[in-house]
Amino acid sequence: MGKKHKHERKPGVCIPWQEKLKELPEISGNEQLIQKVWEDIDALAYMYIWQCLLSF
Amino acid sequence: MASKMERLYVERLKRYVTAMQNGKPDTIPIRPFVAEFVAKYAGYTCQEVTHDYEKAFAAVRKCAADFDWDAVVGNMVYVWTGLTEAIGLKYYAVPGIGISPDTGFQYREPSEEQAFMKLDEYDQLIEDPTGFLFNVWLPRVSSDVSAMGQPTSYRNNLSFLKGGMAMLSYFNAFGKQNELLRTESGTVSAISGILKAPFDILADKLRGYLGLVTDLFDRPDKVLTACEALMPHLTHVALSGADPDKNVPIGFWMHRGCVPFVSQEHFDRFYWPTLKPIIEEIWANGHQVLFYAEGDWNAHLKCFAELPDGSIVYHVDNADIFEAHKVIGQKFCLSGGIPNFLLSYGTADEVRNCCKKVIDGVAGDGGYIMDASAIIQNDAKVENIKAMTEFTREYGMY
Repeated sequence: MGKKHKHERKPGVCIPWQEKLKELPEISGNEQLIQKVWEDIDALAYMYIWQCLLSF
Repeated sequence: MASKMERLYVERLKRYVTAMQNGKPDTIPIRPFVAEFVAKYAGYTCQEVTHDYEKAFAAVRKCAADFDWDAVVGNMVYVWTGLTEAIGLKYYAVPGIGISPDTGFQYREPSEEQAFMKLDEYDQLIEDPTGFLFNVWLPRVSSDVSAMGQPTSYRNNLSFLKGGMAMLSYFNAFGKQNELLRTESGTVSAISGILKAPFDILADKLRGYLGLVTDLFDRPDKVLTACEALMPHLTHVALSGADPDKNVPIGFWMHRGCVPFVSQEHFDRFYWPTLKPIIEEIWANGHQVLFYAEGDWNAHLKCFAELPDGSIVYHVDNADIFEAHKVIGQKFCLSGGIPNFLLSYGTADEVRNCCKKVIDGVAGDGGYIMDASAIIQNDAKVENIKAMTEFTREYGMY
């Protein structure tokens, strides 16, 4: 749906996990847990700006 | 054993859902989209219900308890101006700030020269819609957010903190509101989630209506590509707020994409091809969409008829509801059709006569939900809303 653009952030994403991962030191624990929490909170920022546009 | 109120809720939900699936329930469901009317009825000013959402919620619950309605929106005075003021949004006239405390909030569209998205910024939007909104759009629509490259400020930093926490607080409060509607009056929360068409978003919040209609002639390819770039995001937002139980529809608010705001040719080229796939995707995920067709969209009924049976509920505002029923009534449930001017300036008898005419004309086989044409504000007479409700209960039995 819609055309894909080179730098487009995917729906639901402000800062992709892969971008954040590059900034972190070696992960010694559970990477999936860190990724999930990062993405869940990142989605709130996405909701913020799109709800500003749509609802307010 | 379920409580009396829970049994009433289940009964109303079944009635509402059956009608939305274009079926014949036990009686015609009543689902008025009551906005500032609730303030008038509950004894609040427009300022109070717009600026203090707890008062708005309380007013909705009072109406739901006092009137025999099947479904309502938890707060149809949806734009909580406490939040918009925290962010510093410039495009609202707020009751009690510059306009009368008894006037509903107003949207102020900037002049074409002051549009929130400039003529040469289509490529930025197309390339990265989310980045564009944060980096370009938000600083322009907020009095507090600093533009990229400009010094940050205390107000800038606070805007995000206050805005984010306020939005979360507000959205979380809807969960409690819906539960109280269910337990206090057995009332169903009428919709869940929000959708707007890509074309309408460009007109409403980015280029402005005048800017966009000029762009349709001067740079049509950019407009189409921008609409396409918005599609996946608007779909995502709609689905993320949809009812997990898949009972109630996503609210879709239709603004200026219809004839005569645009030509049929422009509708066919821009509006519909970038909306239809969104509706189909939402339907593929098991959710209906409520087309809240503000104004008159009857010129486009044949396009809407292309959608799968039952995928939408079609709300009629100023258009001819009998024509709408003729063209799409076999496929979709209709709602609305009781003119707001009648609810404001007519008599109770005139309201009853109008309800009878609409029910006789479109509700014979089910698939109809009683409502006013547009959202009901504080100019509606209480006795007329009672007449609409009571007549439908008496006459709308199947």
